[in-house]
Amino acid sequence: MENEVFLRLGMTIAIVAAGLLVYRLVTILVLARASRTSAPVRSQKPAILYFTTPDCAPCRTVQRPAIMQTKHILGEKIEVVEINAQEQPDLARQWGILSVPTTFILDRNGKPVHVNHGVTPAKKLLRQIRDTGI
Amino acid sequence: MSNQLIPVDHAAMRVHQAVLILLLILGFVLSQPILVLVCCLVMLLGAIVLRKPGFGFIYTWILKPGGFVKPDIIQDHREPHLFAQGVGGVFLLAASVFFIVGLPLWGWVLSWVVTGLAALNLIAGFCVGCAMYYWLNTLRVPGFSRTAPKGSFPGMRPPRDPQSHSTGA
Repeated sequence: MENEVFLRLGMTIAIVAAGLLVYRLVTILVLARASRTSAPVRSQKPAILYFTTPDCAPCRTVQRPAIMQTKHILGEKIEVVEINAQEQPDLARQWGILSVPTTFILDRNGKPVHVNHGVTPAKKLLRQIRDTGI
Repeated sequence: MSNQLIPVDHAAMRVHQAVLILLLILGFVLSQPILVLVCCLVMLLGAIVLRKPGFGFIYTWILKPGGFVKPDIIQDHREPHLFAQGVGGVFLLAASVFFIVGLPLWGWVLSWVVTGLAALNLIAGFCVGCAMYYWLNTLRVPGFSRTAPKGSFPGMRPPRDPQSHSTGA
């Protein structure tokens, strides 16, 4: 009986791990898909590509201040590109946007290295930008 | 029927999903299919009779009054979530039937499907049953009259309006 419980516990852990792996793979696929599209950035700097819509309240009240805080800390070292997904639906589709806010972290070559679905705090954005070698 | 959005407390739904996941995993680990049947009955009762998240009573009676979980009011439709809960309940009903007829493997497979979909909703905010509801709406199937809230992908949790947090539901 006890052995069976441990066996089932092991199976549960394996199933949960498989689920997390699938989630990670989906993120990789989203990034791979985004890599195939040209990034709308102007400089050779790491960038935050920020998809929003005018009626998205958390974008206005939480996400934009977090991005501005990140920009304030890093200054001219990064570029921030804000995209209205309602005005540019084709671009949003190309980047695989399902919800707003969604933020992509791009490296110096415009290649997406991180994607965040939902509100992302400034601390996490900073950590992800530092991953680009800034 | 109007397509007017109403305040929906997503905290109650998240508590429901968390309890559901916990009970289904506990049922699997301890090999207790009765927990699957209990979840099935609670989900169907909530979806069809009470028209509330099945395990939402834990939030309403304990977690919210105790201040452990704060309300999370979002302008949304209630019907797609009830439909999703009903679909989950039917899956668990089928799982229970498999257990009764001596096919536990298929019972646990269905139970894990429901667990996975509840986890997807809880963690990523994507409700597959709601997406099904909105898809049936686009096909003009009678009874599926609501369309996805403006600015949100069908099935994804609509954007939160922080000003309405204190409203309660």
